[in-house]
Amino acid sequence: MTEQTHDDKPSHEWLLKMAEAEDRCGSVSVGGMAHDVGLLESQALPEAPRVFGRLIEYARRAKGLSVERLAEVADVDLGELVAIEQNEGPVPSARTVYRLGLALNLSSGKLMELAGLAQPQDDYLSQAAVRFAARSEPNAALSPEERAAYEEFVKVLVESSERRD
Amino acid sequence: MVNATLLDGLRPSDLDLIERGWSPYRLRTLERLLRSGAPREDWPESLHWDWSKKRADLRLLEASGFGIVCNEDWQGVLMTKTASHAARLPDDTGKPIVYVDYVEVAPWNWRIESLGQKSRFMAVGAVLMRTAIRQSLEEGFRARVGLHSLPQAEVFYRNTCGMTPLGRDDEKQNLLYFEFSSEQAKSFLDQGGAS
Repeated sequence: MTEQTHDDKPSHEWLLKMAEAEDRCGSVSVGGMAHDVGLLESQALPEAPRVFGRLIEYARRAKGLSVERLAEVADVDLGELVAIEQNEGPVPSARTVYRLGLALNLSSGKLMELAGLAQPQDDYLSQAAVRFAARSEPNAALSPEERAAYEEFVKVLVESSERRD
Repeated sequence: MVNATLLDGLRPSDLDLIERGWSPYRLRTLERLLRSGAPREDWPESLHWDWSKKRADLRLLEASGFGIVCNEDWQGVLMTKTASHAARLPDDTGKPIVYVDYVEVAPWNWRIESLGQKSRFMAVGAVLMRTAIRQSLEEGFRARVGLHSLPQAEVFYRNTCGMTPLGRDDEKQNLLYFEFSSEQAKSFLDQGGAS
């Protein structure tokens, strides 16, 4: 990497004028590449909060953690975690989603989409999410069917993340 | 006014460094927006972008990366391509251009009205556009530059830069395509655009 040295430094006046004009506009974002790599927003994921709550609950149980222990490990509010798993309350905070992703070894970016904090980027994940949400009701321990559903969905999450890397 | 450094020849590893510096702030911004109840249309459109995902593009031969560093932080980044796009303006159709593939300023430089957040450093986007024009001149493309703007940035490229809007592009999710003619670009370099 090099520092540019051509003698094209903008004048003081030019910079002041541009600072004022750019500040009035608010954004300068260009989206050609963002489109190509799937970062532009598209349609909302159906049943997003329900899928997110179910995924967190299954991931916790798959690791054999109680709700209290996961809240402690992830350093998130217990009440918020309960609300997430029961699909109650508002959209979870970004910090909570991020911390849960770290604690459960799940992609934070994909969790953001599932939590409704970012728009989903591919149909493959959306379809897998709907299939996952339609599975059986939760019990204290994951049944073989629930574990299979959870593992299948996590596989899709990982594949979906890898395709965008 | 402060001194900043313009760097060219960004490497894929630089994008990881940038993402590491920007993502925590972006996350905090997202939380503040959620807590404030700001309407979704007021959120910065690039809020969830992850720069580290552009590494593959930076390896292309035609691709170049530039960044502005100030106070030891990356303040803005520009990525361009020089071979895969051609001019669309009637007088220039088919001629080579520098295509601006990606421009973003650091999230602390976003002005977000609903949060009362002001830009920490201003004119970063304008200096990056200036860099794209300089690259076009150095490539022998006579300052021609094209790009697809996000909706919130259209006013910047139309009014501040003085570029010509040439219609929405079906193949780029209806983003509006803008282009600098040689004259428009030189006017931007000399006087700072249309208004």
